[in-house]
Amino acid sequence: MLAQTFSVDRPLPEGVRDLLFADAVAIRGMASALRAIWRNWSYHEIILPTFEYAATLATDVGAEIDAEMYRFLDRQGRTLALRPDMTIPTARVIGTRLYDQAMPIRASYIGSVFRYEPPRAGRQHEFIQAGVELIGAPGRAADAEVVALAVAALHAVGLPEYRITLGHVGFFRGLLGALALPERLAGRLRLAVARKAEAEVADLLSSAGTVAAAARRALLALPRLTGSTAVLAEAEEVCLNPGMAHAIADLQASAKLLDAYGVADLVTYDLAEVRDLDYYTGITFEGFAPGLGTSLISGGRYDDLIGRFGPAQPAVGWALTLDQVLVAREMQGIVQPEPAADILVSVAARPESLAWVGEARARGLQVEVDPLGLEPEALWAAARGRGIPRVAWPDEVRGNREQEVGNRAQGTGSREQEIGTCGAAHDHGEQGAGPTTYSLVPTPYAGAWVVRDANGPRVLAAGDWEELARWLR
Amino acid sequence: MAALTMALPKGRLTEDALGCLARAGHAICSNGSGPSGPGGGVEAAAGVGRKLILESVDGQLRFVLAKPADVPIFVEYGAADLGIAGLDVLREAERDVYEPLSLPFGHCRLVVAGPAGRPERNLRLERSPKVATKFPRLAEAFFRKQGLAPEIIVMSGSVELAPLVGLADLIVDLVQTGTTLRENGLVELRVVMESHAVLIANRASYRLRLAEMRALIDALAAAV
Repeated sequence: MLAQTFSVDRPLPEGVRDLLFADAVAIRGMASALRAIWRNWSYHEIILPTFEYAATLATDVGAEIDAEMYRFLDRQGRTLALRPDMTIPTARVIGTRLYDQAMPIRASYIGSVFRYEPPRAGRQHEFIQAGVELIGAPGRAADAEVVALAVAALHAVGLPEYRITLGHVGFFRGLLGALALPERLAGRLRLAVARKAEAEVADLLSSAGTVAAAARRALLALPRLTGSTAVLAEAEEVCLNPGMAHAIADLQASAKLLDAYGVADLVTYDLAEVRDLDYYTGITFEGFAPGLGTSLISGGRYDDLIGRFGPAQPAVGWALTLDQVLVAREMQGIVQPEPAADILVSVAARPESLAWVGEARARGLQVEVDPLGLEPEALWAAARGRGIPRVAWPDEVRGNREQEVGNRAQGTGSREQEIGTCGAAHDHGEQGAGPTTYSLVPTPYAGAWVVRDANGPRVLAAGDWEELARWLR
Repeated sequence: MAALTMALPKGRLTEDALGCLARAGHAICSNGSGPSGPGGGVEAAAGVGRKLILESVDGQLRFVLAKPADVPIFVEYGAADLGIAGLDVLREAERDVYEPLSLPFGHCRLVVAGPAGRPERNLRLERSPKVATKFPRLAEAFFRKQGLAPEIIVMSGSVELAPLVGLADLIVDLVQTGTTLRENGLVELRVVMESHAVLIANRASYRLRLAEMRALIDALAAAV
């Protein structure tokens, strides 16, 4: 094996990154918001393993993902892989463990997934997906529920603006069936439709030989079948077979339910969205937000996957990439501030005032205790430098310093201070104090704080939480 | 709402693209962006000048002027909602964008060419030809499809030079009339693909601003 030593020039391999402080707050905040939504909708979280047998994850229904997996060997030489998504492990759980449970099962998850893909739109090889799967429920009510939940999720993660595009693989599949083209031509046609390249579709059609007029009309209309529910009516008119008609009926039923869910305004229909044609078996959808050029949530119905691992079960779900939400939120002007305490407190002069700090924390205040024994001015400067808007110190600190200044004027204080500093350095036990010397001249703790914010300092009684709350506002 | 942004390629497609936009009612603002003195070249002739971001007279469109190969990148990332790119550049870049309108200008072909004095022989008999090109992906795919293992030499300009000085055996490059090839003693051997200009659109913008997008695409379709 290649011997490797740490290099400061390249401390991280490609594909992974650190998410620090503000980014971590943003990601965890989204996770909390999603868990709250899932709780309300009764989706229950599962925690899945980070790696499994590669053969489990490399399903033939997800061929594209297969090529992007991180693979490695265990000690027995078996090939393992980091999970490239969460849906396949979920399907394995359902197929092998929960197949005889009462259906439907509503599962949710949040976790990292891993794919060898070029970094795109805020996504590295490792990225965080949150998602849901509704298992054991065929049909339109389940479809609509999952789409409505996708809208709720996009709202919950704090995106001001977003849209869902809803399609159905059955429409294009039915059309391909009616056209009965050679496989190669059908493949090229699918790419052209996916690009909405109308002229290319027409060219391919003209090279296809004799095609029935109705099928020709349907295919040429396809790249434009995107927009409001009106396109469903248009699409209905060009249906050639029960497969296509069934797809449109599915979407019309979903549209009605989505209206009842109150999210109809946020949904666009698109029958030319034909990616992942092999994976999905019914509705498919994606979510977009301004500024992010790519979709950040995608999902659909995949009734053929769970049958690979056990008894077949219909399933529908989605996955949202939180790394991309982070970028999309920034593009829409949402800035996550760096996390900082509400208040920086010095207790060096009065260690017993830690009791007050404890109470303040119990009341929900974010309190940082200065460990350096800074004097009030330095304390304020330190707070400002780190984005903390307020400081506080026991009232005596000021009093002691005045006293000390007085001592120094008499030519005694400075010597005492030197001795005190040495003493503290050698004997940490003494009064538990840091390198400060203010406590050399003990005065009774009056129970008051000097607090300071941008408006300047003032004195506050330690027990007056109401006044403190007013000040914090 | 902000104007839609369109990425335009600087170079041989610029003039036709601007003409097409003007006919569709989106002429570029001439204010402050007229010919900018010597060296303006094609862009100056078309009234574009050297600015990189321009607006249409009606204020409905903002234009970003980019290197042709960069147009699909601007559009895929959503930095531009729309773009005009050659099909050659588009297939080389393999960017994930919609291609809603084929435009009837910028016709050319991507070809394999070699020195005129080169012995006539079947390409398939080549061992591992050294191929100079600005289109490494398309060139590689073309030769791989013949079962060959090409040695691709990626260049950023004057590809015709490569066979003349022994840098490469063959080139894969765009040809409009064939004059440049002839002048450099090269002959066209195979056509890799036919190309023309294409209007491309960002997938997210197409969803989020469908009505504006469709109106513009239809106006352009009517103007070509």
